[in-house]
Amino acid sequence: MTIFNSQATALPIWQAALLLAPALLSGAAAIFAGHRAKKKGSNFATTAVRKTATAGPAWCAARLASSAGLVASALSLAAVVWGWRGSGLGLRADIVGALMLVLVAFVGWVIVRYSQPYLNGARAALKGKCAEHQYVRWLMATLAAVAVVVTTNHMLVLMLAWMATSMALHRLLTFFSERPAAVVAAHKKFIVGRAADLCMLGAAVLFAVSFQTLHINEMVAHAAAPAPLSQSAQAGVLLVVMAALLKCAQLPFHGWLIQVMEAPTPVSALLHAGIVNLGGFVLIRFAPLVSEVPAAQALLVGAGTATAVLAALVMTTRISVKVMLAWSTCAQMGFMLMQCGLGAWDMALLHLLAHSLYKAHAFLSAGGAVRRATLAQMTRTTTPAGWPGWLLGVFVGISMLLAAMAVWRVLVPGIAISPAVWVLSGIVAFALVPLVHAQSLRRGVGWLPLLVLGAFGVSFAYVGLHWLFSTWVLPAIAQPHAALWIAVAVAFALLFLAQSLIRMAPQSRLVRGLYPWFYGGLFLDEKFNSIAFSIWPPPPPAPGPKPSSSFAMLPNSSASTPWSSHERAR
Amino acid sequence: MNERVETVLMRMQRVAGQISVATQRIAPTWPLDQFIAVNPYWGWVGRPITEAAAALGTLASTRLTISPEWFRAEWDAGRLKPEHLLAAARAHIGAQTAIGSMTSDPARAQELVREMMAALTQPAPLVLPILPIPLVTDMRDAGTTARPGLTWTGLVTHQISQHCAAFFDRHQSTWTMDRSRGLYGSWHQQLDADHGLPWHRGRDAFKARLAALPAEPQALIAKAMDALEMPQEGREAYLSAVLMGIGGWAAWCAYLRWQARLAGTDDSQIVDLLAIRIAWEWLLYDDAPAHETPPRGWALRWGMADEACTALQAAQRPEWLLQSAMEIAYQQSLISKLIASAPPAADAQSGMYPNVAAAVQAVFCIDVRSEVFRRALESVSPAVHTLGFAGFFGLPIAYSPLGSALTRPQLPGLLAASQTVSESAAPSLNCRQAAKDGSAALGQVVARQRQNALQRRQRWADFRTGANSAFSFVESMGLSYGAKLLFESLASTATPARLEDTGIAKNAAAALRPRLSQASSDPVAAATLAKGILTAMGLTNSFAPLLLLVGHGSQSANNPHAAGLDCGACGGQTGEVNARVLADLLNTPAVREQLHVLGVEIPAATYCLPALHNTTTDEVMLYDTDAVPESHRAALGQLRHWLAAAGERARAERAPALGLETLLGQNAALKQAVQERANDWAQVRPEWGLVDNAAFIVAPRARTRSINLAGRSFLHDYDWKQDEDLSVLTLIMTAPMVVTHWINMQYHASTVDNQRYGSGNKVLHNVVGGRLGVFEGNGGDLRIGLPMQSLHDGQTLRHTPLRLSVFIEAPRAGLHAVIARHETVRDLVENHWLHLFRLDASEDSVEQYRRGSWTKVNVLGDASAAS
Repeated sequence: MTIFNSQATALPIWQAALLLAPALLSGAAAIFAGHRAKKKGSNFATTAVRKTATAGPAWCAARLASSAGLVASALSLAAVVWGWRGSGLGLRADIVGALMLVLVAFVGWVIVRYSQPYLNGARAALKGKCAEHQYVRWLMATLAAVAVVVTTNHMLVLMLAWMATSMALHRLLTFFSERPAAVVAAHKKFIVGRAADLCMLGAAVLFAVSFQTLHINEMVAHAAAPAPLSQSAQAGVLLVVMAALLKCAQLPFHGWLIQVMEAPTPVSALLHAGIVNLGGFVLIRFAPLVSEVPAAQALLVGAGTATAVLAALVMTTRISVKVMLAWSTCAQMGFMLMQCGLGAWDMALLHLLAHSLYKAHAFLSAGGAVRRATLAQMTRTTTPAGWPGWLLGVFVGISMLLAAMAVWRVLVPGIAISPAVWVLSGIVAFALVPLVHAQSLRRGVGWLPLLVLGAFGVSFAYVGLHWLFSTWVLPAIAQPHAALWIAVAVAFALLFLAQSLIRMAPQSRLVRGLYPWFYGGLFLDEKFNSIAFSIWPPPPPAPGPKPSSSFAMLPNSSASTPWSSHERAR
Repeated sequence: MNERVETVLMRMQRVAGQISVATQRIAPTWPLDQFIAVNPYWGWVGRPITEAAAALGTLASTRLTISPEWFRAEWDAGRLKPEHLLAAARAHIGAQTAIGSMTSDPARAQELVREMMAALTQPAPLVLPILPIPLVTDMRDAGTTARPGLTWTGLVTHQISQHCAAFFDRHQSTWTMDRSRGLYGSWHQQLDADHGLPWHRGRDAFKARLAALPAEPQALIAKAMDALEMPQEGREAYLSAVLMGIGGWAAWCAYLRWQARLAGTDDSQIVDLLAIRIAWEWLLYDDAPAHETPPRGWALRWGMADEACTALQAAQRPEWLLQSAMEIAYQQSLISKLIASAPPAADAQSGMYPNVAAAVQAVFCIDVRSEVFRRALESVSPAVHTLGFAGFFGLPIAYSPLGSALTRPQLPGLLAASQTVSESAAPSLNCRQAAKDGSAALGQVVARQRQNALQRRQRWADFRTGANSAFSFVESMGLSYGAKLLFESLASTATPARLEDTGIAKNAAAALRPRLSQASSDPVAAATLAKGILTAMGLTNSFAPLLLLVGHGSQSANNPHAAGLDCGACGGQTGEVNARVLADLLNTPAVREQLHVLGVEIPAATYCLPALHNTTTDEVMLYDTDAVPESHRAALGQLRHWLAAAGERARAERAPALGLETLLGQNAALKQAVQERANDWAQVRPEWGLVDNAAFIVAPRARTRSINLAGRSFLHDYDWKQDEDLSVLTLIMTAPMVVTHWINMQYHASTVDNQRYGSGNKVLHNVVGGRLGVFEGNGGDLRIGLPMQSLHDGQTLRHTPLRLSVFIEAPRAGLHAVIARHETVRDLVENHWLHLFRLDASEDSVEQYRRGSWTKVNVLGDASAAS
């Protein structure tokens, strides 16, 4: 049932092919698009650019590749669920990897479909080549690299694929390379990304020395041994954790994640749904080792919790939809890493998957913000809530969570709940407060019963998913030190209090005094910039008089307007 | 002592005057949910367009004509011809010489043509980039940058823009700033608490400097200009340039002032904004390192802004000549068609549609997209007569969906609503009185249901986005978004539900009808309103059995600028509410009785039916058909058939521009493709909107009925013979003509300078404050105007930036009277912001208005044929 003690059962060739299919298909589509971009772009007169601007075949290849990749990933998940698990040929077939592969393939499929109409004519040419071809090329290359990351069993391949993901994404982030902000943000990501790659390289060397292998499943098997990990192995684990913190854009290395809104929307969706969370996935891969190193757990809990709490508060001060979503991702990644540190690996994986789908949707539908604002305008603003209503919310939140747990205990006898999970559940209970928080108990509360039911539904789903993941996907391994979950409990209690104060007493001195700090993102990014850029200044943006120069200012030459055809006839 | 007080007062007054000039030059921008078109140069229409262009170029390096390559391409393609250049030269000379002396000057004309030819054939750029007079910020940018990759201008814009967004946001952030001190005061407060700005002299020195700034915006502006040693004669120009440095938010503040003035009050937040931007100038001046401090006397250049403007105007002459030539090329083709279609004198007497009696009269919006559909509908059946009228149907209303807290205007941005319309339950036909009591109760029930549903939605949104609850939301509900992603990714032809019906059960929504309460409470007032509308429409007699009132709206998904594709005359909404309200008004028996008293006889056999033209799919939705009397059922069936057939023709006409030409001839497939496009969440060009608009024709439909105007003309029906007191002509020239000019100039400005007056690339759009506007990317200034995707297909421009050509069929005296009486009209016409032509029903010639007189337009094609 568990995946961690998987014996090195040889992988049948068909299963290896299924696992590799998404990566190979995406890679092939990338090469095809790159080839077309080169072929037609070689003598780039304006006419050549205009002729190739219909990147139809490249899009067609990308759509085919992503659809086939999705099918293959679904089949490989089915095979793993059926019981075909194992590793070989440098690959690993297990539930975690297969779920990730389905996620990546699905997000890739959605984004490819979305990008074709969205990017149509978004710019005429990119460095003399058809911009759409370049987009398809690097999008598919990124997807291929991610697919390798989630299927490989070899640490060096993992490191290289993770790096390749970042490098290919870099080309997408600088799609508008004449925009200075795009270049600066991508450069920041480049610095942080290479630092993380160095960490991974160091970890690979240390692991190779300690464990005499570079196969991940063999490395983690050492964790099961009764002997404690060697110093070098522990240092390797710490380096893996550092790499994850860097790649998951934890404070104060978050600036690039916030500022890459200079790339087209689907690139943001891809980044937030399929790439930034790979840090969490890699940690899950090394979970048994991480659980053996208390310092690594403390680092994860400390950095993750701090980022989750602070970034969540910063998020509430943001005024544009995409930047708000970016801060939200930063916080959610912190939460996921904190769960890794607490040893709640199942919840971390659930968080990773659920967040990916949620955030991909949130980015792709960001244009709907105007409609949502109209609905908000239609809603009557009720009188500010009082503390009794707040208390009622707390009461309902806790009781609904307890009720859900009770129901699940009846449904599944013997469902186990660890202290760390109690802490996480407590976070859920308090999260329900805004849902059932009575605005004013004197007014009509016709909406209340349904919301209480909704709170129960949320709790029920939460406990159920926890049970599902902990039983079937990733059983908990070891309990962390009590200090860690106590620290998390305190931090989130403080967050809850802060949030309640902001809501209930927005004019209080404390709230007013804290606002500029959070509005300014705690001024961490400015500090990071001044240090990082003094070491490695960003390159200048691509030449071009104006950003709008990406559109060729040519008159409409098509014969579709009767006026022009009339003129021509004369 | 007294003298000093007096000079202080005078100085204050002078500064106030300078501020007023600078702020009046900024045109408003409407929020995204009411995104109507505005002429962004509206503050400049008091000056000739070439002069305004030079002034804007001097102040902000913008230009009002398109890039030279474009003219060259038009020339190479043969659409711009030598005779157009000559005509442009002649027109230019005509405008220069004194009135009356109609001496032609061939030598001068030849010289101007040579100037244009030189511009067209020069391999080098036609004009050098305009170098504006620098601000302090620009001069700092010549030195070290604020941060690697970030200029001072970029930093200042970002800081002000983020602050304005946080100050004006009501929908995105949940933790908001202290707004009690006003825009300027709160900015001061925020800057004081900032720890991230790269001050050269350190944060403490800066804080001391900041504390010394005057607390009152106007005092700050005065002091800053003194400190910068700005000469008096350059202050208006300098203030204008400073404000244009943050032009997007200046336009937002101008909107707030516009709305306040419509409501009879005022708003001065634009002065706060000006104070903020000029405070930055001052702070950057003081904070500059010694070697980067602007040299003494730098400000003197602002004192010479007028000279710079004059010089630039002279330098820009070839561009404006070419612009006129392009416009002449278009006008020539249109005028020749209009002359060819002039009805014989006998027909002109007998009315608009001499051949077939109307079975349906359909009133459409003047919008250019209606022209395509009207032509299609008329070609389907000669028994359909169509009219053009402003799509808000003259109703001065705001709309508040039943039981909601939202009230939004449903009329042009020039006007203020005087009545608010809401829905009420439709009384059933059988038992009217019983239903009347019941319907009030039903309305209350629906309102309560909706509020509960909206409250639940709001609670859920709080849960989803709260700082401490977002984590748990993601874990418990996040996976369900996989299904949403799948669902949204699949093509759909479904008709989306009206946003205004959110929170109402479907059957309840069907029973609701927007209605003017006056129709039942005060039939006399309602009938007066109705009479005014019918008169303006030119429809006071010979009613057809079915009077179809067709509003229009677009259909797009996930589109921040969706309202920009809706009806501009309805305040950026669909025309549905207006059409339904007017139809209901005209069908109400009590109103008809009163109309009879007022002399307008709507026959009992005439029934009014509201409809909505979906401009994206070219389908027409009929409303309130359940109330259609039995006598009209057959006609209704026939009408549906006609509308469907017209839709097919209109879709076929629009298909090539949408890249769907391969589906021509397959009606069902084309319809499906268009519907899927309208629902596609990734579609950045659901339709082409009002792209390529170029003319506004005010005449009976008979005048244009036989012409294919290619969706480039606004059409307004007008019969001068029924307008003895010129009230209708006055209305048309002061309202619809201004609105069409605004639309035309919005497209023009977004095309020629998308950086300043357009909203850039749609794939980077980032909605600010839920509705305030968009950022392009992370931040920067608030972006106004149209996105590039609405103007450009990736290869070529879809919009041809031509000034509006207005053709009015009316006597000279009437036109003169309106021009003389209304300053706005006079400004637009005399200062060449649009071209005014006169059609004459009795002669087959067209005359152009030039400096108070009418010049007959020669059709060049004929001339060349003769020679």
